[in-house]
Amino acid sequence: MSTASPVIELDQVSLSRDGVQVLTELSLRLDQSRIGLIGHNGSGKSSLVRLLNGLLPSDTGRVSVHGQDPGRGPEAMAATVGFIFQNPDHQLIFPTVIEELTFGLRNQGCSVSGATEQALALLRAHGHEDWAERPVHSLSEGQKQLVCIFAVLLLEPGLLILDEPFSALDLPTRFRLLELLHGLPQQILMISHELDTLADFDRLIWLEDGRVRADGTPDTVLSAYQADARERARSLRLGRMQPQASEA
Amino acid sequence: MISLYLGQQSWLHRRPAGLKLLSLAAISIGLYFVSHPFWMLAALLAVLALYASVGRQALRQLRLLRPLLFLFAIMFLVQWWSVGLAAGLTLVLRMSTLVLLANLITLTTRMDAMMSAITPLLLPLRLVGTDPARIAFAVALVIRFIPVLLAQLHGLKEAWTVRGGGRQVWRLAIPMTIQAIRMSDHVAEALAARGGIQTSPGHATHSSRSHSSAKESHSEG
Amino acid sequence: MKDKSLVQIALYAALVAALGFIPPVPFAFGVPITAQTLGVMLAGVMLGPWRGALSMLLLVFVVSLGAPLLAGGRGGLGVLAGPTVGFFLGWPVAAFFAGLVAQKLQRLPLLAATAIGAFTGGILVLYICGIIGFKLVTGNNWANSTLTMAVFIPGDLIKVAITCLVAQAVYKGLPGAVATRQP
Repeated sequence: MSTASPVIELDQVSLSRDGVQVLTELSLRLDQSRIGLIGHNGSGKSSLVRLLNGLLPSDTGRVSVHGQDPGRGPEAMAATVGFIFQNPDHQLIFPTVIEELTFGLRNQGCSVSGATEQALALLRAHGHEDWAERPVHSLSEGQKQLVCIFAVLLLEPGLLILDEPFSALDLPTRFRLLELLHGLPQQILMISHELDTLADFDRLIWLEDGRVRADGTPDTVLSAYQADARERARSLRLGRMQPQASEA
Repeated sequence: MISLYLGQQSWLHRRPAGLKLLSLAAISIGLYFVSHPFWMLAALLAVLALYASVGRQALRQLRLLRPLLFLFAIMFLVQWWSVGLAAGLTLVLRMSTLVLLANLITLTTRMDAMMSAITPLLLPLRLVGTDPARIAFAVALVIRFIPVLLAQLHGLKEAWTVRGGGRQVWRLAIPMTIQAIRMSDHVAEALAARGGIQTSPGHATHSSRSHSSAKESHSEG
Repeated sequence: MKDKSLVQIALYAALVAALGFIPPVPFAFGVPITAQTLGVMLAGVMLGPWRGALSMLLLVFVVSLGAPLLAGGRGGLGVLAGPTVGFFLGWPVAAFFAGLVAQKLQRLPLLAATAIGAFTGGILVLYICGIIGFKLVTGNNWANSTLTMAVFIPGDLIKVAITCLVAQAVYKGLPGAVATRQP
């Protein structure tokens, strides 16, 4: 685990993608252990987390993640930030679980035998040592997502970022994964549309149009967010009915 | 793993890959000097006997010849019409023998053994700055992508049928390609987030340079 | 993301392989046409000459190692010994010329540039490679070799048309994904 203080800092950060402003002068200091990120589609959540591990470079402003500058690129940030994507099929590359798990370690210069040993130890610690030789495509969606998390944990990053990790999972698998996440020593930043999964988090940030709309504990932020979503749903429906009414 | 390799064991499995490849090359050249259909038939029967000696599983793989039958028929007709019956027979028999023999090597040689047997041929690539480790990785990626693409294709086909479909199935090529491109964008992203592809020492700068010089394409929201 | 090119190269190799799993459609007079050359033309037009050629070279490599990725489940060394070896080994060359021509004709409208590119690479160049291979392997004369192969040309013309439509649709949605249209 990295020894740098587990703080993420953004100072006046702006970002545009394909000519569209997605983040606007965002300043945040994140030092809690469990942080949730919510917002409607297109609010800038995905861009924000991609900024933190260097997948996207910021236009202006300063970003620091556990003392590291993500401007060095995602490959250099891999040891600091573990990133879990929405669809495990995009993340899992190798035919067997063991090859998948040792990939990152070997990139860090670990020997084949050393990497294999560490990977097996981790599988054993979680009671899945029988997975090692299994073909990745034979695993269930939840198991695949778990392999993604294991692969990232082996690199011992200080921060774990999860971009909607639950969207393909059934309820029991979701609970199991959440329990596992809560037991980890890492700082966690998670995007989720499943609001119940964020209830036990320390802090929630609600993004809208690339700015912070609300920031606080789950109970205050979640109720405001849900009220706003209902309000929007009502206007969406009206918006669709109006042209029909004029036709009639 | 997608491969033609037969998991059982046989005397042919135990021969080294390099020896099998060399024998194949020698026999293939030798067959070009056989011009009588009778001797060509004898060669074909000898190859069939080889299949039988490897086992029933191998004999079942004779079906690999089936996709070529149409072409063989045209070849036979054209050759018969322009040269003669004997020439037509010899040609088709020789083709069948060659293809079956080469397939037999593939059936009895593991993919990684084949890869290490031909790796010396890849070494010149180092001169142009390509690390063999990257090639191995690319091979793994291809094998990994195929089932995902097939699942996508299957999903599209199902939706197409449910919605009434029709004969213009080729239209599916458009969403198929777009989905594939999106997937590769995600995979490239995930790969970078996990530290990128390892390069053997002394090669890191060179090979990364040669690849980033290729036009970086789109980013997608 | 320095490995993006490599991922794209692997993707189009896999795409051509996946197209081989579509059952061949019997076309006029029962000539079977497979979808794979569609993928070869797409690789050239989408990735450009160099990466397109590398992508097909990668597929040739994987198939030669023993993966049954050609239409009808063919693969391994048998392909290199068979009468279609020229077409198979011609894929990298075809993708190269499809990409090169489409790129040189960037000033033309996309449909025209893609059509000429795919035709040059996927038919002209590919059939030259294919006929040379066929002649060498079978020992036929030029006329017979050409005659035998010519039955497949009508099906391939359809694939040129589909390549154009796919390229146009992709360019609308993801303009950056069509390398031969980049300045």
